[in-house]
Amino acid sequence: MKKILHIAEREFLATAGTKAFIFAVLVTPVVVGVLILIMSRMWREGPPRVEGEVAIVDQTGQVAAGVQAFLKPDRIAERRQKAYRRMQEAMPPALRAAAGGEDRSKKGIERAFESALGEVPQLSVLALDSGSDVEAAKGPLRATPAKESGAPERLALIVVHADAVERKPGADRFGSYELFVRSKLDVRLTDEIGDGIRDAIVGARIRRSGLDRREVEALTNVDRVPSRTVSTAGEGRTNELLNQLIPAALLGLLLVSVLMSGQYLLTTTVEEKSNRVVEVLLSAVSPMELMVGKILGQFAVGLLVLALYLGLGVIALLSFASLGLLDPTLIVFLLLFYLLAYLSVGAFMAAIGSAVNEMREAQGLMTPVMMVIMIPWFLWMPISRDPNSVLATVLSFVPPLSNFVIMLRLASSTPPPIWQTLLAIVAGAAGVYASLWFAARVFRIGLLMYGKPPNLATLIRWARTG
Amino acid sequence: MPDAIVLRGLTKTFGDTVAVRDLDLVVPQGALYGVIGPNGAGKTTAIRMILSILMPDRGELSVLGRRSAMEAKDRIGYLPEERGLYKRMRVGQFLAYMAHLKADEGPDLRVRIRAWLERVGLAEVEMKRCEELSKGMQQKVQFLAAIIHRPDLLILDEPFSGLDPVNQRLLRELVRDEHQRGATVLFSTHVMIHAEQLCDHVVMIHRGVKVLDDEIGSIRARFDPRSVLFEALDPAADVSALARVPGVQHVRKDGALWDISLAPTADRASVIQMVAAAVPPARVELRRPSLEDVFINIVSEAAAEADDDTLRAAVREDAGGPREARR
Repeated sequence: MKKILHIAEREFLATAGTKAFIFAVLVTPVVVGVLILIMSRMWREGPPRVEGEVAIVDQTGQVAAGVQAFLKPDRIAERRQKAYRRMQEAMPPALRAAAGGEDRSKKGIERAFESALGEVPQLSVLALDSGSDVEAAKGPLRATPAKESGAPERLALIVVHADAVERKPGADRFGSYELFVRSKLDVRLTDEIGDGIRDAIVGARIRRSGLDRREVEALTNVDRVPSRTVSTAGEGRTNELLNQLIPAALLGLLLVSVLMSGQYLLTTTVEEKSNRVVEVLLSAVSPMELMVGKILGQFAVGLLVLALYLGLGVIALLSFASLGLLDPTLIVFLLLFYLLAYLSVGAFMAAIGSAVNEMREAQGLMTPVMMVIMIPWFLWMPISRDPNSVLATVLSFVPPLSNFVIMLRLASSTPPPIWQTLLAIVAGAAGVYASLWFAARVFRIGLLMYGKPPNLATLIRWARTG
Repeated sequence: MPDAIVLRGLTKTFGDTVAVRDLDLVVPQGALYGVIGPNGAGKTTAIRMILSILMPDRGELSVLGRRSAMEAKDRIGYLPEERGLYKRMRVGQFLAYMAHLKADEGPDLRVRIRAWLERVGLAEVEMKRCEELSKGMQQKVQFLAAIIHRPDLLILDEPFSGLDPVNQRLLRELVRDEHQRGATVLFSTHVMIHAEQLCDHVVMIHRGVKVLDDEIGSIRARFDPRSVLFEALDPAADVSALARVPGVQHVRKDGALWDISLAPTADRASVIQMVAAAVPPARVELRRPSLEDVFINIVSEAAAEADDDTLRAAVREDAGGPREARR
């Protein structure tokens, strides 16, 4: 046992003590963080100031004025203020606090909001004759007027159909409109113009029907309120975003730590074999002791990665005052399923490492293992949407997928019944037993086998005869 | 006192190839045994079976009184032919690690490591990474890894390969020291001269079969020399008188020397006296058979296929060229 611990210790230090590891584990999150910061800075740069005219061929004669009013710069600014207030109300208090207190956050968010949308566009609306030639009116969209001419740049052309406000006799539906825009026009501006036309057409239709627009709006509007989650811990606002993020984060954490330590296990095994140090080791310990020691050592490496990232996550949640969202039993389950997933995947990696002569040869054998591990990642969406679907339930009992799938389900808003969790643990343990059995046999034969790289069929043959 | 190694009918096959066939061997405790034979003879396979790295298909063995080397691993030191180091590990760390794997946790381990490194002229490398050492230095470190835990049985597979003559001599001294400390030593080599220089008992393997297992002395006695090397004091002297000495069968020139074959019944002492009287000699000596001669003799008797020159080439130093590694 002491020898196994010595092997594990060496394995751990030889992996976690290297600059490459420290770089991968510590620097990667920093790099990602910096990237996010840069991205958000670039986002804040906002779109450039827009100035120009929007031409309208209003075949009804009742819409142009509405569009004109809608696109007035002060009306645009007013609408933005309203949208901003709505957004602020919808934001969870924790997030608002995280942004640096009520006041600071208000300003900060307002600023971010403004810069995201850009400066209020200065648009002039030019109503063309209702009988104008549409093709001719499109002309200026293609041309760039000379700066000194002072003529405004035509950004868009709206053609409102004649039956947009009044239906044709016998028709069920109203007519609509067409919107032509200059190439590379900011999509937010296009949206703004589109909103303007729709608003003006609706207004004209309501007027035409002799109704009171305010009344209609009041009748058709019901405020959207956030749901409140009721649990044994009390009642709180449902945090949908975090509720989806936490299962994904836990699954990602599980995958990353299993993959990382599995990959290291493969690398160090191949290294020992190609260094020819393996025979010296085998004169001191049995192949089984060597394998168990190596698996244990890399288990500790994965645990370190897991603990580091989990710690970062907990700190992040703490700072958002949302730690309550993370059920502590989930962490226990995470560790348990890390153990099961790592052992079943890691054992395979060790077996592959023992069978090949160099890393390049390992790629072919790795592909099936990697594909299996990636399945839960691809199924993340369907499973997290419906954690109790037949697919999710079945996959919860298929090792080694079970470990990932059940983790995702446990973290979801509707966790599986306890018997399913227990069965998944049993399935995971059976998977561990099977892959350790397979790996031990392949490992024993593979370690001293040099020459032609084996394929999967050879490994299976070794396991059967070994 | 039980024997250090006992093998009975050990057989190992790889596919269609029989690597070792019905090998019987007894190595008493405290002995210094050499296992010789050309590359591919089955030496490494036999050693790996002794160490339980490979399991025999058939046969029984006991190592240091145990049914398997597994149970006595901590008392065995092994230097494999395919030897390696952890490149990124520091030399001192590596030796300590190997000692730990042999359950040697002695408090004086560090002191011993330092003393051993000094003994082999590597005092300054303790803190260096293994990859920074030259190949010769690495081999010394590998040898130290095999003996650092003071094993009762030391098994060395081709220990001299790749070493320059100075380091070969150092290694011979170290092996002798270990033997004198009381360790049983078994080493293999395809270079017969190394076995002659070091051991008192040789086991010869050819194509997986043991063809010789005897003391060096009795091998020499058994392969009784029937020829005398003669060098005349005056290189221009007429040596025709030599052929007329009674008991001399024929005289053949061998470079600057003369090779005098004796009749089977001739008395060596009197022939030598008469030869010296016939022509004034610079040197007269009985030609002692080398292990190489013995090997050639045995193998060519066993099989007519063998061409002497090819066989000789296979058991000389420069024969250790690249060879396909197998288990």
